[in-house]
Amino acid sequence: MTEAHKVKITYCADCGYEPQTLDLAKALMLEFGSRLSCIELIPWEGGTFDVSVDGELIHSMTRDGGFGESRAITDAVRARLSA
Amino acid sequence: MTIDRTRFDKGLTYDAYKEQMTRNRDRLEANEQRVDLSKEDLAAFRALPRTVKVVVLAEDWCGDVIANLPVLGRLAKDSGKLDVRIFLRDQNDDIMQRYLNKGQFKSIPVFVFFDDNFRELGHWIERPASVTEVRAKRRKEIFAAHPEFGSPDAPVDQLAEDVRVRLQGELVKVQHDTMKFANAEVVRELREIATRVAA
Repeated sequence: MTEAHKVKITYCADCGYEPQTLDLAKALMLEFGSRLSCIELIPWEGGTFDVSVDGELIHSMTRDGGFGESRAITDAVRARLSA
Repeated sequence: MTIDRTRFDKGLTYDAYKEQMTRNRDRLEANEQRVDLSKEDLAAFRALPRTVKVVVLAEDWCGDVIANLPVLGRLAKDSGKLDVRIFLRDQNDDIMQRYLNKGQFKSIPVFVFFDDNFRELGHWIERPASVTEVRAKRRKEIFAAHPEFGSPDAPVDQLAEDVRVRLQGELVKVQHDTMKFANAEVVRELREIATRVAA
């Protein structure tokens, strides 16, 4: 049975992080297609830009700084999918 | 980068800025209506010996711009003593680099006050520290009162959707409840800078 993997991107809507959020969502869609069961976009506040896979935080603007490199994030998602 | 008359005149007036906004104009104008200026504050601005020029860095997607630029807009309109010119942050990085928050963050809005000869009187960035403090305290209280919200430092995507929506409602309420205090603090800090021209 195929395992369902969910990615969540929580972004600060007050900060105008929509372009970076959509860029990352697009990169994930093109890279993983139906291997992801869902890509959830969560508008939030407070300068947030967090990316998690199946509940595991793989990038956080607060923790790691910045939006993160798209390649590094897709690699982290791939690693999580392969685990 | 130096601000001179030529550069200043290239900025947008407050009304022209509103005209070019692609989003949040309704929120900005609603906040403009909510600004409650005291007679004393208004008198202090009206008593300025000459018009003070204010260079602003802003973008229409920024929550702090939507909250605080209207305060400056109302002070300018009601006092007649502030000549405001607004520059879009992402098209004017040379100005932004000079007014980085803590020397590293491109926080907006930025308000820079100049005298007639474009000598800087002072500048103001993002929001008053007192407002950040009060909101952080309220936020802490919310999490303490609602264990279901988890830790304030935990990623919100781990909350169930219904819990997350309730948390968001509480945080929006904090913004709303502290708006009057925040506007008063913005006025107090801007007054302190602008009135240096009279000293």
